[in-house]
Amino acid sequence: MTARPSTVLPLVAATVLIPLAVALIFWWVADDVDQGFSQRIFYFHVPVALTTYACFGYAAVCAALHLARRDPVWDLRWYVRSHVGTICGTLVLVRGPIWAKISWGVWWNWSDRQLNVFLILFLFYCAYFMLRFSLEEGERRATFSSVYVLLGIGLVPLSILAVRIAQTLIHPTVFTSEGTNMPGSFFITFLVALGGMLALAASMISVELRGKTTALRIRDLRRQLAGTDA
Amino acid sequence: MIADALVLARTNLLLEVRRREVVLGMLQFVVATLVIVHFALGGDRASDPRAAAGMLWVVIVLTAVLALNRTFAADTEESALDALLLAPVDRAAIWLGKVLAQLAFLAVVELFAAPLFWVFFLDEADADPLPIVAAIALADIGLASVGVVVAALAQATRTREVLLPVLFLPLAIPLVIGAVTATLAAVDGDAGTLRPLGFLALYGTFFAVLACGVFDHLVAE
Repeated sequence: MTARPSTVLPLVAATVLIPLAVALIFWWVADDVDQGFSQRIFYFHVPVALTTYACFGYAAVCAALHLARRDPVWDLRWYVRSHVGTICGTLVLVRGPIWAKISWGVWWNWSDRQLNVFLILFLFYCAYFMLRFSLEEGERRATFSSVYVLLGIGLVPLSILAVRIAQTLIHPTVFTSEGTNMPGSFFITFLVALGGMLALAASMISVELRGKTTALRIRDLRRQLAGTDA
Repeated sequence: MIADALVLARTNLLLEVRRREVVLGMLQFVVATLVIVHFALGGDRASDPRAAAGMLWVVIVLTAVLALNRTFAADTEESALDALLLAPVDRAAIWLGKVLAQLAFLAVVELFAAPLFWVFFLDEADADPLPIVAAIALADIGLASVGVVVAALAQATRTREVLLPVLFLPLAIPLVIGAVTATLAAVDGDAGTLRPLGFLALYGTFFAVLACGVFDHLVAE
């Protein structure tokens, strides 16, 4: 079976961009004045975090569309996006503390706003998987999990607001209202890494979606076959 | 619609009140948890009112989980929900009825727990009770609104008692952050209680509107 362009294009982009990003990170950009060598993890850490947010955001849109249109295709689409988002989220939560230990001297900092909001969102999506796997497959599972994810739409802004009210800000702010807060070579490397991660996520989504759709089709065909044999 | 909701809330409450062990059990749960909190904070050193103020919210959220486990208990046992859906009642009224019953339930427990908490932990602190009461009242609205939807989701699964806290707690985290901030400000005698209280009101309003909107999809299944 030949892969459709939607799978090939992100896969090619990811294969080109990610090694390129690695090369740029180790051979091109200079050490950060303040943080030194350890700052280089940033070029992968932040793109993965942004990819997680992109996957979760897109998943929520697909969930809303599923509730509106009641089409099982949208259920599958948003399930796969939240799945890939959770994988990226796990990476962020593993890598974040490594950076924090070197940069701040602690593994985890409860007074950091972005860390806490990310953790809340991650817990929420993990809970969603528990719900999904506790329900029988079918229309009801699709609707119930869509409803739960819709509840999460408010969770991101409300968590940001709650943590902002309660705590202080010490996370480095790279994007401010006055533009990016980093030199040109840093920014180009960051963009290449971000493009690579988004392409990788898109190809993972595409591959998983194709696998799931094929599995469903095979199941339907088997059922039909069993039906005609009987 | 309001009248329907009130009738439904009353029915729910009557069922639970007649079965005395639920309300009495909840009250006993609260007292036992407060005692656990006292010893968990290190016995005598539990006089640290700031630590205790945070624990108040652990107790409240856990109590809400217990209460939510009962929300659809009667309906699923007697398949009363099916009958209710056949009745000419607005779906939003079913949600509102459940929320009102849940609020009343929480209020009863908190009317008992809050003074006890004060006597146990805040007696010597120079705390202002008014913001704490306001925080509890506002947080209850948020807990009940989102909790009823989550309870409806959980009751459809095989492992509903386990799944309910798993689904509910991540959604309750921002609420707890806001409520604890308000309580700590009150314990410190700070003037900064208005912002967290405003946040609690926002959380309650937002989730009440959202939950009311999506509840229709749940019972339609």
